[in-house]
Amino acid sequence: MRIRLDNLNKRFGSTPVLRDFSLETAAGEFLVLLGPSGCGKTTCLRTVAGLERPDSGRVFLDDTDVTHAEPRDRDMAMVFQSYALYPHLNVYENIAFPLLVRKLAAGYVEKRVRQAAERLGLAGLLQRRPRELSGGQRQRVALARAIVRQPNAFLFDEPLSNLDAKLRLEMRGELKRLQHELGVTSLYVTHDQAEAMTLGRRLAVMKDGELEQLGSPEEVYSRPASLFVAGFLGSPAMNLLPGRVDAAARCFVSGEIVVPLDADPLGRLGAAASITLGIRPENIELARTPGEGWLPGRVYVCESMGNENLIVIAAGGAHLSCRAAPEMRFDFESSVWFRFRPGCLHFFDTSTTRALWP
Amino acid sequence: MKTLQRILGPLLLALATLLTLFPVYWLVTLSLKREVDQFAVPPIWLRFTPTLAHYYDIFFVRSFGAYLAHSVVVAGVSTLLALAIGSLAAYSLARFPRPGLAFWILSNRMFPPIVSVIPLLLMLRWAKLLNSLAALIVVYTAFNLPFVVWMMRSFFEEIPVDLEEAAMMDGQTRLGALWRVVLPLVRPGLAATAAFCLVIGWNEFLFAFLVAQTDAAMTLPVGIAGRVTQYEIKWGAMSAAGVVAMLPVFAFAAAMQKHLVRGLSLGAVKG
Amino acid sequence: MKQGRIWLAPAVVALAALSIYPLLFAIEVSLRTGSGYGLDNYFRLARDRFFLVSLGQTLLYTTLALAVEFPLGLTLALLVDREFRGRRLLRSILLIPMLLPPVVVAVIWRLILNAEFGVLNGALRSLGLDTSGLTWFGSEKSAMLSVVLVDVWEWTPFLFLLLLAGLQGLPVEPFEAARIDGASPSQVFLRLTLPMLRPVIAVAVLLRGMDLLRVFDQIFILTQGGPGFATETVTLYIYRTAFRYWNFGYAAAMSFVLLAATTVIARAFLRLLRQHPA
Repeated sequence: MRIRLDNLNKRFGSTPVLRDFSLETAAGEFLVLLGPSGCGKTTCLRTVAGLERPDSGRVFLDDTDVTHAEPRDRDMAMVFQSYALYPHLNVYENIAFPLLVRKLAAGYVEKRVRQAAERLGLAGLLQRRPRELSGGQRQRVALARAIVRQPNAFLFDEPLSNLDAKLRLEMRGELKRLQHELGVTSLYVTHDQAEAMTLGRRLAVMKDGELEQLGSPEEVYSRPASLFVAGFLGSPAMNLLPGRVDAAARCFVSGEIVVPLDADPLGRLGAAASITLGIRPENIELARTPGEGWLPGRVYVCESMGNENLIVIAAGGAHLSCRAAPEMRFDFESSVWFRFRPGCLHFFDTSTTRALWP
Repeated sequence: MKTLQRILGPLLLALATLLTLFPVYWLVTLSLKREVDQFAVPPIWLRFTPTLAHYYDIFFVRSFGAYLAHSVVVAGVSTLLALAIGSLAAYSLARFPRPGLAFWILSNRMFPPIVSVIPLLLMLRWAKLLNSLAALIVVYTAFNLPFVVWMMRSFFEEIPVDLEEAAMMDGQTRLGALWRVVLPLVRPGLAATAAFCLVIGWNEFLFAFLVAQTDAAMTLPVGIAGRVTQYEIKWGAMSAAGVVAMLPVFAFAAAMQKHLVRGLSLGAVKG
Repeated sequence: MKQGRIWLAPAVVALAALSIYPLLFAIEVSLRTGSGYGLDNYFRLARDRFFLVSLGQTLLYTTLALAVEFPLGLTLALLVDREFRGRRLLRSILLIPMLLPPVVVAVIWRLILNAEFGVLNGALRSLGLDTSGLTWFGSEKSAMLSVVLVDVWEWTPFLFLLLLAGLQGLPVEPFEAARIDGASPSQVFLRLTLPMLRPVIAVAVLLRGMDLLRVFDQIFILTQGGPGFATETVTLYIYRTAFRYWNFGYAAAMSFVLLAATTVIARAFLRLLRQHPA
């Protein structure tokens, strides 16, 4: 079952929420819609579900136009951020609900419900009411309710946001396993880039109702198509240095930071007036003594995380976030030398925000 | 089929609106119609020559001006008293909860009024207050007290204690803090509660009928009813009086709107 | 200042004087017999045919009124629950009947339903129909239905308002989930809306029911309990006993029986509710 979105447009009042948004999933694919709040990802999901109708544009399930079909005719399952369990029904009845409204045989219903409950570890809780369950348990009931049928697609609306950090990590793994086992096409909405990276086969990064980039996690991470995508993925965020190219000196200049350029990037960058250099924290090398071409800096703050250190250095008028091995510990204001690992540079056109290189 | 469904809803609502407004409309037109037009068959819906004769009649020939004044006084004063006494109690209950006492106060509304009518009448006769406005004011104040306590307590509970504590830190007494800090914040609540009490006092019939039967103290509802239970019914006068009694309610209703549900659910929510 | 006790004093004193005293007095007078104190009045009640009939009529009135007001109120609430322009105005208009002075409501309907001069019969007559059989308040058979009709007009808005508030307080997401899970509108109503609305329905029906058991004003002005005793409820019988026959003790006893009956019904209703928790 493929989901295809064709030029969706939607506004709430005078605010446009989706602008000419188009997307297509492969059959059985787990596709993540990633973006900050207000970017339109939830509206997009709800449009696929049928809870919202677009102002223009179309929604297809395989080759069927379902743009104006009722949610119940689309045969999808949705897991809500706040679980949306039926408060007056117990766990069994909640899970059974989609089957009961289709008037399926009682024996079949019982079998499917028990299967779903088993799979999500809910077997002992079937008689309880939602208000007697913990957040994690409620979320599993919501999941069970989704998998109890064999829907065309799963729709997830930030299902893990309301869980505490530890549980969130656990459930993330469970979700990935589940989707792998069931092989149902899934659309997953989140603002958490770590979730997106680990769960999605492909990521659709959204901003202000538009698709910024569509690609696999590796693509989006190592070849971000715009300043926004570059800054959104990765934690700590990519360091961005606005500056310009000095063609004669064959280098990039930002304040007091000078970075020599090879022929390849130099050629591509030539025309643009202002350029932003991007370098990820893990790609900045630090040393106490300088090597050839290394630049000087001063340690602004050094945080020990146990397995690594997060160090912010002040250099040439800018602050750079770096990730270093645990042995690299520095005091405040101590002097340090750094360089950008060759081959890990990103260049963006500052005015259009599009990536120029790689 | 779907179009039928879509029309049905608004159609039913239009019908409901019509049924709701028509009797009111009819009363108003009756009060403005000449006697000969009032009972014409077929009924005259729209085109008639209006007359103010009935209004003239009730105010200048009969004593409805007095009844109106009595209603205003009784409803107004009893509302003020109930607000004052009740708000103090409500504030106390909001800040120092006493569930038992609160329940007792609120349960007073549960009694069928008819139970307390007889002894109240005898009490009033002993105090020589029968057929006086004071009697009605006293009774209505007691009537409204549980209601005021209920409403105002929930309004006070919505105001965080921090504000009064800050004021008291700055040197205010508790009473000062209440007057200067809290009351301005619950003003909408006071207004809504006052509107409720005014409507109750304005509309009340049973006690007014039994307690104040002479012209000296008769209120508007009783005056209107008096015309009805007699043999000779002057429809014009009655409808004009009815319209007069109806008008203030529309004004109060606007103030009551937002808090209607809160006011009407008194008591039973606690189960 | 001791915990705000003094602030409670005026309210407590006022209520004590004006409700406890009358209550005690009413108890006392209801227990007076020719020779001291006893339960004579209460025993008499048990054998009083008029009382039992009035009790039955009160129950009939209550049941009929609720049977019409509840579905009507629910329907209106469901219709108004959607978003549409002018909704607030419409809601305000629909509330008018219950805000009017009951006296005025009674007057309006006496005017409309008057057999000879009322506009309803007048309109029917102008359409050629024979209204000689439609006497509304005038005949024993139709009087009860007529007063119930007035009650429906006046108090359906009450149920409408409470049920609407209940509907608007329901969480949105389970309903969206139900649409996605495949439920049709009628399934949503029966499986979701009604069960989730149960506590509100209970409160609304309870409140209205208790007010109906104690109704007085409208019936008094509309029919005084007549014609004959066709619309005499318990409260009207109490009134007659106290103020026409001047038998305060008997009337007080009747009031207590009414109070007891109302409390018992309310308790039973609430217990029934708790046995089927929402």
